[in-house]
Amino acid sequence: MKINRRKLLSLIGLSPAVLAGTPAVADDKKKKPAVVRGQEKFETLNPKGMPPAVQLVPMAPRLDTLDGKTVFLVSDGFAGADRFLAQIAIWFQKNMPSVKTVYRLKAGAYFDDDPKLMAEIKASGNAMIMAYGH
Amino acid sequence: MQVEKMGFPTAPLVTIAFVGLAKSNAASRGMPLERICFLPHPMTNKSDEEMYKVLEGNDPISNKPLMPEIIAALTQPLTADEKKTGTISPDIGPPTYVGTQDELQRLYCDNNLTDYMPIILPTEEKVEAMLKGTSHKPDEVIGKLSAAQGALPSWTFTVRHVAINAVMAGASPEYFPVILAISATGQPALFSSTSSFSRMVLLNGPISDQIKMNYGIGAMGPFAEPNATIGRAWTILSKNLGGCGVPGLTYLGTLGSNFNYNNLCIAETENRLPDGWKPFHVQKGFKPDESVVSIFNGWSLNNVAWFPNMPYHELIKNWLTHFFSFGTTAATLLLDPTIAREAKEKGFNSKEELSDYWSKNSKTPGWLYWDTHQKELKQAQEGVEPYASYLKMGDGEIPFQRFYRRGRPGAPPDPNPKSSIEVIVMGGETNTYWAGGDFSYVTSASIDKWR
Repeated sequence: MKINRRKLLSLIGLSPAVLAGTPAVADDKKKKPAVVRGQEKFETLNPKGMPPAVQLVPMAPRLDTLDGKTVFLVSDGFAGADRFLAQIAIWFQKNMPSVKTVYRLKAGAYFDDDPKLMAEIKASGNAMIMAYGH
Repeated sequence: MQVEKMGFPTAPLVTIAFVGLAKSNAASRGMPLERICFLPHPMTNKSDEEMYKVLEGNDPISNKPLMPEIIAALTQPLTADEKKTGTISPDIGPPTYVGTQDELQRLYCDNNLTDYMPIILPTEEKVEAMLKGTSHKPDEVIGKLSAAQGALPSWTFTVRHVAINAVMAGASPEYFPVILAISATGQPALFSSTSSFSRMVLLNGPISDQIKMNYGIGAMGPFAEPNATIGRAWTILSKNLGGCGVPGLTYLGTLGSNFNYNNLCIAETENRLPDGWKPFHVQKGFKPDESVVSIFNGWSLNNVAWFPNMPYHELIKNWLTHFFSFGTTAATLLLDPTIAREAKEKGFNSKEELSDYWSKNSKTPGWLYWDTHQKELKQAQEGVEPYASYLKMGDGEIPFQRFYRRGRPGAPPDPNPKSSIEVIVMGGETNTYWAGGDFSYVTSASIDKWR
């Protein structure tokens, strides 16, 4: 970035106009404002873009009971989710031993789909408990 | 939600730090009444016994016993509202606002439409003037923007939308092609992540002199209009064109980042590069006379003022060995031209040679290596080499080269991995200083396309 000498003088507090011998003259011909200062009304534009419309998705029918069912315990991969789901498996063993639990780590980032896992749940599961970190 | 769509009941478990995010995410994906169960936060540092106690306790939001709540989420019959279908149109407010300057400044602030500093009010007249900065039509759709691509909805926006936001940031029409190019990358300045991401935006090519970007003294400071307003525009447009930056909903950064006010908007000092060193955009495949914007992602920056009794490239190698933050495998060095010239005098004929040297010769502190290599730690304890020998080195420097692009976990190893260290030359040559941080290169885009 180049800065010219006149600009540099003004940046360090010296007026180039004074150095040039030009007197500073106040402009006394200013027009009076049409409205009281600060009360003028403006119309401005909304800066927002276009969020997508939301398609409502009906939830899946619920099970009558978990007895005898297979529940997939799925981690999104954030630290600690695997250990917490292991405790849920222990809870079911102690309190509802007829429930079969299957632990799986979902592939990809937490928001990525995992078609292989989805197919497995469809083929051999009845419900899913998913833990999101942290 | 995919599993619900397949016809299987689900019970998502989310910690209470993400209540707003989880509920708004469910709503924006079409399932506003998703049966989410909440846990205390954080869970990661709890022992197994403490985690089990959480299961025996209550959901801290509903105050109901947690496990019965999870079971009810899977077995309690659906209500009529939970079975609803149809479409909900988003509400983004009226197309225009009317008020005095003070009223409008307050309105834009109160609605999180700004960065909370005063804006230039986007009147039709100012927006029309901004639109003269490009040959593109106002209604042209540029692309999509989201606070977390894949996880949160992507918003659509046009050239006109970007112009409104550019006016608010105080940008001149001459800067508009740069701001359009940034927005066209689809990269938001504000991510949803809890880790408080920062961003960096670098300009290369003729545009830097055409719009008078400052790449000399104080290149990263508040000393030039384009540096200040282009970076600011990116944050403001990310909020308004992608729904980013709503604390608790689309922004979760626990500490936040002051860099987000301006996103480190810089330009490379191309006219002071050592002979043979290419400008950054040329390194990425563009021609020297093309104007290009490049985007980086990271968290932090060390501004290093140190006069070493060794060459600077050795000092920086040692800094790389010991540097760590959330990102531990990528780095970007911002070198004053004096440092770049010294490196050239020491035999580095290109930026690539310098970054290769650093990747090959920097190491990893013992504690950091073991903290990020738990599987290898177990092998080391079982006597497997070379890990067993590493373990004997205690807190010394492990010969593990971490600054390489290694691909995603599980991907086959690359026999010739590329250095993950980027080099940018900038600054006013008032002293032999440099800065380094965990920024990694994301993408580059043509500015000329948007003129």
